[in-house]
Amino acid sequence: MPAKPLVLADVEIAVGPRVLLRRLNLTIGAGETHILFGPNGSGKSSLLSAIMGLPPYHVTRGEVRLGGERIDNLPVDARARLGLGMAFQRPPELDGVTITALARALRADAGLADAAAVLDLADFVRRDINVGFSGGEIKRWEILKLFLQRPQICLFDEPESGVDLEHIAAVGAAMERLLGRDGTGDQRRSALIITHTGFILDHVQAGMGHMLVNGEIICSGDPNRLFAHIKSHGYTLPPWASEPAAAASDERIAS
Amino acid sequence: MTTSLREDITVEEKALLAEVGYEEENERAGTCVLVDQAVRHIGLTDNAVEILPLAEALRRYDWVQDLMFGLIDPDEDERIAEVAESRHAPVGHFVRVLEGAKVRLPIQLFTLLAAPQGRQFHHNITVIEKGAEVEMISGSAVPRSVHAGHHVSLSESYLREGAICRSVSIEHWAANMEVHSYARSRLEKNAHATDSVIQLAPVKHHVSQSRSYLEEGATANDQSVIYAPVGTTRIMDSETWLKGQGSRSESITRMVTAGGVISNRSTLIGDASGTSGFLGCNGLKLTDEGEIFSVPALRALNAQAQLSHEASIGMIDQEKLSYLMASGMSEDEARDLIIQGFLNLDEQKIPEAVREEVIRAIAAARSGAM
Ligand SMILES: Nc1ncnc2c1ncn2[C@@H]1O[C@H](COP(=O)(O)OP(=O)(O)OP(=O)(O)O)[C@@H](O)[C@H]1O
Ligand SMILES: [Mg+2]
Repeated sequence: MPAKPLVLADVEIAVGPRVLLRRLNLTIGAGETHILFGPNGSGKSSLLSAIMGLPPYHVTRGEVRLGGERIDNLPVDARARLGLGMAFQRPPELDGVTITALARALRADAGLADAAAVLDLADFVRRDINVGFSGGEIKRWEILKLFLQRPQICLFDEPESGVDLEHIAAVGAAMERLLGRDGTGDQRRSALIITHTGFILDHVQAGMGHMLVNGEIICSGDPNRLFAHIKSHGYTLPPWASEPAAAASDERIAS
Repeated sequence: MTTSLREDITVEEKALLAEVGYEEENERAGTCVLVDQAVRHIGLTDNAVEILPLAEALRRYDWVQDLMFGLIDPDEDERIAEVAESRHAPVGHFVRVLEGAKVRLPIQLFTLLAAPQGRQFHHNITVIEKGAEVEMISGSAVPRSVHAGHHVSLSESYLREGAICRSVSIEHWAANMEVHSYARSRLEKNAHATDSVIQLAPVKHHVSQSRSYLEEGATANDQSVIYAPVGTTRIMDSETWLKGQGSRSESITRMVTAGGVISNRSTLIGDASGTSGFLGCNGLKLTDEGEIFSVPALRALNAQAQLSHEASIGMIDQEKLSYLMASGMSEDEARDLIIQGFLNLDEQKIPEAVREEVIRAIAAARSGAM
């Protein structure tokens, strides 16, 4: 399955009557990596969940398109089969369902041992998913899950938070490998990555960053520059930043 | 020990029994197969194990008559009374593990109902003597060609002082059968029992009643997985009596209805000081049809008894379903995985030998193939 661009055009996201995000315009081109910054409660996880199609998040305005096909009305499994995958911030515990059982259900048992070793989870394959996992183990498992699933567009919700300094390099390397940037010849996947710490910027090459405040993308630009700005000035509009509705991004949405 | 019967079981029968735990007899310390109203086959590979038809055991050992109806009142109900009427010529097995023996391989015990519309009345007695240790696998099966019949069984188990028994039972009756089973067990001082019960196949009406009596320092752990598709009714009634000082028990029941009826009444009675017990009853209801009626009850007769229970009935959690679907599986596949997980038995408690059969039985049950 070739990578396809993911496009959000004037999207509003709500839970029931409550609008959480609005006026979202975002294009992630095939093979691109984007970073999403924003304070707690700004709507980052809600955005990823809505793109993935997870209840109770609904797109109540605008469109989400994957390679030209509208996906915002499709159920979550259909979106997954079209190539979307997500590493959850707070995944549920699945009593009695082992990592091995999930790999088998995804017909990915062949690659399990290797991928698990990369993420230092070789001893976990017989354990129930997320049951009793530590914070860092959950994060590593969520990335391992994407290795089994091999989606074209990977949505990462704080993949490095809670991961210790020794494992963070492994997480970074695994993400790089998953996204096809480590030269192993795997095809390039696209990504949208939420981060607070910016750690991940040392490991994956991201082309674009976005700042989400109060349910709106207030600016986009070079992710390293954006992160440097946030570190010194908080989640404020940088003087150099392009406004989200600037001509350049409008052009991309139209394409 | 003598082997009194060696009449063979057919290849087809072996294949059928393999689904409920049968393995070649060199992998077992002892084997007993009851077919319809007769003890068809007994095989032994361990000198510390004795298996006899109960009728023969009664003739051979005068003390066996004191064990028979030692834990169950012959007049308790009409079905028991019916079995008790033929107590002079009972059909069933007598299993004995000799004092102090650590039996390496499991004992396997099977019941086959082979005659369509057959009626079985079995009485089984088990004695694990002082300090002995054993694993038991018991299974019941019915050929595919038999749809209806009636099975009634009484079983009385005696675990003598310090005896250890780990048992697994897998029941695979036919969709139109009626089954009544009565189980009684006495755990003497410091005895320990671990029981796993697997009832996943459809059966029209299954009533099971069990009572266990724990003496000083005895411990019992049991876990049951119960499945009821449309057309299946299971009525379970169990009592665990913590009669001796410091006796302990833990009982976990997992029930899934896909349209059938499950009624589970389990009572834990704390009747001595320093006793502790836990009842866990969890139900999963997959459709609007059918019913789960779950009554975990605690009864304290002693001030130093610590009893607790946990009960829940729910549907499949939407968040878990979405989580799995987000990885690309269909809703059905995600449901299957969650149900299978819910019914999963604690692997450490299941002897290696039956694990595969269990997984297969669960897979068949959830796909509705059984
Ligand atoms: N299911 C929901 N029902 C109601 N409100 C919700 C729901 N999900 C999120 N919200 C609210 O929407 C806002 C955004 O939440 P979200 O989880 O998307 O934030 P976030 O940017 O990911 O924050 P954090 O950095 O803390 O993870 C919060 O105020 C949250 O309480
Ligand atoms: Mg979040």
